[in-house]
Amino acid sequence: MQEDDRPGLSVRLDAVTKIYNVAGDELPAIRGITLSIARGEALALVGSSGSGKSTLLHLSGLLDRPTTGAVYYENRRVDSLSPSERATLRNRSVGFVFQNFQLIPRTTAIENVEMPLLYRGIPPRERREKARELLLSVGMGDRERHYSSQLSGGQQQRVAIARALVASPGLLLADEPTGNLDSRSAVSVLELLMKAQERTRMTLVLVTHDAEVATVASRTIRVRDGLLEQS
Amino acid sequence: MFLVSLGLKALLRNPYRSILTSLGIVIGVLSVIVLVSIGLGAKALVLQSIQNLGPNLLVVIPGSVTDSGAQVGGGTDTTLTVEDAQAIRHDCPDVWNASGALRTAAQVQSAHANWSTVILGAEPNYLPVRDWHLARGGFFGNEEEASAARVAVLGHLVASRLFGLEDPLGKFIQINHSPFRIIGILSSKGQSPMGMNQDDMVVIPLSTLQSQIMGVTYVGVILAAAQSPDRVDDARREIRDLLTLRHHIPAGGRPDFDIQALSDIAKTANRLSLILTLLLALIASISLIVGGIGILNIMLVSVRERTREIGIRMAIGARPIDILIQFLTESAALSFFGGIAGGILGILSILALRSFLGWPAPIPWEGTLLTVTGATILGVLFGLYPAWRASRLDPMEALRYE
Repeated sequence: MQEDDRPGLSVRLDAVTKIYNVAGDELPAIRGITLSIARGEALALVGSSGSGKSTLLHLSGLLDRPTTGAVYYENRRVDSLSPSERATLRNRSVGFVFQNFQLIPRTTAIENVEMPLLYRGIPPRERREKARELLLSVGMGDRERHYSSQLSGGQQQRVAIARALVASPGLLLADEPTGNLDSRSAVSVLELLMKAQERTRMTLVLVTHDAEVATVASRTIRVRDGLLEQS
Repeated sequence: MFLVSLGLKALLRNPYRSILTSLGIVIGVLSVIVLVSIGLGAKALVLQSIQNLGPNLLVVIPGSVTDSGAQVGGGTDTTLTVEDAQAIRHDCPDVWNASGALRTAAQVQSAHANWSTVILGAEPNYLPVRDWHLARGGFFGNEEEASAARVAVLGHLVASRLFGLEDPLGKFIQINHSPFRIIGILSSKGQSPMGMNQDDMVVIPLSTLQSQIMGVTYVGVILAAAQSPDRVDDARREIRDLLTLRHHIPAGGRPDFDIQALSDIAKTANRLSLILTLLLALIASISLIVGGIGILNIMLVSVRERTREIGIRMAIGARPIDILIQFLTESAALSFFGGIAGGILGILSILALRSFLGWPAPIPWEGTLLTVTGATILGVLFGLYPAWRASRLDPMEALRYE
């Protein structure tokens, strides 16, 4: 909880590599990247598909562990924590927005938004109120009882953003958040993300292959073949 | 707590699958309960027929004849006498009453019918010793015994075979061509635990049987009733000491008689029906285990189907233990509710068994509780592996799963 009152979370990747083992072949996705992301920064990671930018995002969000190197949050090494400790840290400090929304099927919008609070042990009434508030703020207040299958792509992504923000994370990681949306939904989803970042001053990392999308960020970093291409 | 409700919600989303999955447990619990009840019913029947003979009863039989060193079966010797029975009656404080008895087979004739049956010679106190009653008429007393009178008391079956609907009282039957006057009819007693019909018998004074029909002086058996069921062992010891003395058996020598208590037979019968019940329960448990494997199978499928959901939950902060509990709840609930349903159906089946077949099957409340608990534990055990697999998924791979 102590991260809540901070404006954002600083992240540092220190000489990280990630090598996938596919059918006996070693496929390096990240070949050695050192990167510091400051508190409250809005950073865009751009690159073509297969460049390793998504892997970099997942490493930053503790969904995955680097093969070598280290990940630090606020100068505390976090990649070596146990799966359980990393889960708790993700729950408290990290919000994810995915390209394909990743809402839980056969579950209503509000239940999806509540979920991070559920794993935090927040009582039901408080959970419901907070989730409702977040759904309202993304303009989905009238859809809280809808199942994800009854929502359009843009609407699903709004619900997903509400879910990512509900626990007031210090770090918001968005992996091609507009990749599956038509241009109008894409613009409004992007606006929503930037507005939230401005309001809470959390750290935002945005992965995209679209250079235009990247312009909303204050800093852009190119990734190519698992290495940084400083610009 | 919310993890438990998550598990339950998942089951409600797929009601048909949930019901079909728990059906194995339902059938397993049902069959365990019903078979245990049937086993207990069998036990009750056996004990009831032993109760019929009198739980206080001790049976003294003569030892075996040693014929040129070879032992012939027990009860063949002729060492017991009426005087032994009399001594047991008077000198054993824990014996309430005793009667010598001797039996033979004979042809019995009435005016119109002919029946081959058992002739039992007994002393006047035979009925109270056996806790038996007359349906009609009277029994012979000391006077008839002393004078070896030709009077007879008919067993229920014999009375109807020889006289049909007629009243046999006061009429005569022929045993070995001698006429016997009928003075009473015994109430029906049914089968003995050894499978003999106790109603197929004619009772006459022991002295009459000994002197006029068989020409012997011994008795075949002495029946002694202890004062109460808990004094059967004391009574047995007193009879042994008394007969050892009377028959001049040297200390450490082999007695020429044997004393059996019906409570011993009851114990054996009890143990046998317990084994039967356990065996039935064991067989039924196999179906319970098959039901558990059904749950294991469905849970494995469910974990695979919901891999992406698991990935999402992990991404937003579910710890491995949270995932484990969620899935374990599902399998525990499947087996618990299946067990409850099986328990209810089992009790209903037992009630049906009782009212339609008249089988004295008791409702095994404790067994039901135990079986339902066991089924739930089984569900948790079989759910452990799929739940463990779910909790060990890699969040990244789970999110990418299609």
